[in-house]
Amino acid sequence: MTTFATPSSTTAPASTETSVAQTWGLVARFANPAELMHAAEAVRKAGYRYWDCHSPFPVHGIDHAMGISRTILPVVVFGAGAAGCTLGFLLQSFTNSYDFSIWAMVWVTGYPFLISGKPLLSFPAFVPVMFELTILLSALTTAFGMLAFNQLPELYHPLLKHPGFGRATDDRFFISIEARDPQFLRSKTGEFLKSLGASSVEVVES
Amino acid sequence: MSHSHDHADLGPSNTRADAAIARIAGRLLPAAVVLLAAAAWLAWKGGDANATAKLYLVSFSFILAISLGGLFFTMIQFLTRAGWSVAVRRPAEALASNLRWLWIPFMLPLLWLWWKGGQHHDAGTHALGLDVLWPWANLEHMQQHEPAEYENVLKKAGWLDPNFFVLRAAIYFAVWAVLATIFFKGSTSQDTVGGTATTDRLQKLSGPSIILFGLTVTFAAFDWMMSLTPTWFSTMFGVYFFTVCCTAGFSAMALVTIRLQSLGALKGIVTREHLQDLGKYIFAFGIVFWAYIGFSQYMLIWYGNIPEETTWFMARQMGGWTTFSWLLIAGHFVVPFVFMISRWMKRWNVTLAVASAWMLFMSAVDLYWLIVPVIPAGLADATTYAELAEKHKDAPVGFFTLATLCSIGGMLCLFAWRTARTLSRNHLVPVRDPRLGESIAFQNI
Repeated sequence: MTTFATPSSTTAPASTETSVAQTWGLVARFANPAELMHAAEAVRKAGYRYWDCHSPFPVHGIDHAMGISRTILPVVVFGAGAAGCTLGFLLQSFTNSYDFSIWAMVWVTGYPFLISGKPLLSFPAFVPVMFELTILLSALTTAFGMLAFNQLPELYHPLLKHPGFGRATDDRFFISIEARDPQFLRSKTGEFLKSLGASSVEVVES
Repeated sequence: MSHSHDHADLGPSNTRADAAIARIAGRLLPAAVVLLAAAAWLAWKGGDANATAKLYLVSFSFILAISLGGLFFTMIQFLTRAGWSVAVRRPAEALASNLRWLWIPFMLPLLWLWWKGGQHHDAGTHALGLDVLWPWANLEHMQQHEPAEYENVLKKAGWLDPNFFVLRAAIYFAVWAVLATIFFKGSTSQDTVGGTATTDRLQKLSGPSIILFGLTVTFAAFDWMMSLTPTWFSTMFGVYFFTVCCTAGFSAMALVTIRLQSLGALKGIVTREHLQDLGKYIFAFGIVFWAYIGFSQYMLIWYGNIPEETTWFMARQMGGWTTFSWLLIAGHFVVPFVFMISRWMKRWNVTLAVASAWMLFMSAVDLYWLIVPVIPAGLADATTYAELAEKHKDAPVGFFTLATLCSIGGMLCLFAWRTARTLSRNHLVPVRDPRLGESIAFQNI
């Protein structure tokens, strides 16, 4: 489910006289979330693969209706957190507890330094940094992973040209089916969407 | 999309289980009597008044922590005007309602010790007193045997005064009983009268209540547990006890909820979404926050390395207590953290029940770790830690003894019996709470 920002100006559709205009897909408009949910289930059952729902707010259960599997983001974040924790430990134990050298663009050497009579490798002192690095890497991975898995930022999308689509940020609910879908047939798909109760079905050009 | 909330049955067959719960209560009472009798007999045979008193304090603190956790959960839901939690709030209220009688098993022994202690003070004879647990209650004894500690404790004598101490305990219990009554009675009366007035009133009261709760829990922890070592101090100690309350309370809530569902109640009302959120509460407060607070307290003391602060931890790093401390870290944080981090572990009632039962057990272990260890004798004469550790390498822990298990188990059965009785006489969900519909429809995104 993607919610697009309102285009800054909803200009009239580009002239269809240009021969290069290709059909990107169809967009169907629905009046309320219940209709959207119902239609999404029908589209999924009809076997479409390249399609999406657009709504002004998150609709509970739409993922299930569309048949979207759960994101793997949590697993990635767990890995990133574990990596941050490990890195935090390695960084501190290398810099504070040992004096061997490693090559990291230049040769660097650890600097064992006795602080208040504690052992050189004092695990409790390392914990705050390990904790913070765990949080840092988890949080950054969550934010950027979310963007990456959603293929964001996406600066242009054919749907944004569609004059009525701005209402996807206000009070209308849309389902778009792309022409690259193997099941896509302009007339058949259009009628199918109409039969689901769409108040309008329009062609979107790429 | 699940439309289960459209069909959630709010009739008595789904929101009450009076007979089934009463049957469970009927089994819990004899279990409590037998276990507590066994514990009392073992204590009498053991003949160690101090050990008995400590074990009793551990067992009592355990059921107190569960109740306070339930009270905190209830209040925080009203404070935040939460919608999701209405379906699982009644078990928390039922746990908290025990605060109406919990003063009895604490105040009666306390008053008896206070009275006996006062007598022996007058007569100059040796008898039981508050000093059976709290050394500061007998300053003369401290002066004779621990002159260094005595000098320090003398400066705290204004606060650690037996009369004031008993008065404060009475105040804590009064506050808790009043809060538990307000929230429990308010919510259960709404079951019959309905409307939004009760919800509004409890929302208004929740703010001041939670301040009172924070203060009383903090000072109760200072008084009853921290002052067991009167020379030691940690401003974090109150928060630490609060995390124990959260661990015990939220785990018990999840267990009660899952048990009620296994009795056939709350079908379609409490869903996996609620179980997941209960799991999140246990994970966030009972596992991560506990470790965060516990470590914060430890690290400052470890880093500062000042003897008057480190002795408390030294007592927990001698002999068997070393292993016990490591097991506490592993069992209360590392293992449950990995076990519960996945959403599926919180959503499936079997894994959540296993995790909750384990965390409930670990909070008893935690209280044992807080209360029982004693500062090793000969601390002042030792020159190195190694020397002291060698001297106390056989320091006993005694957690897995019959007396401990009978005492903690017996108190838990007593507590469960009272909770079951409460639940057998009330709806298992606030049936006329204005946010119940919202709660039943709740979904995690």
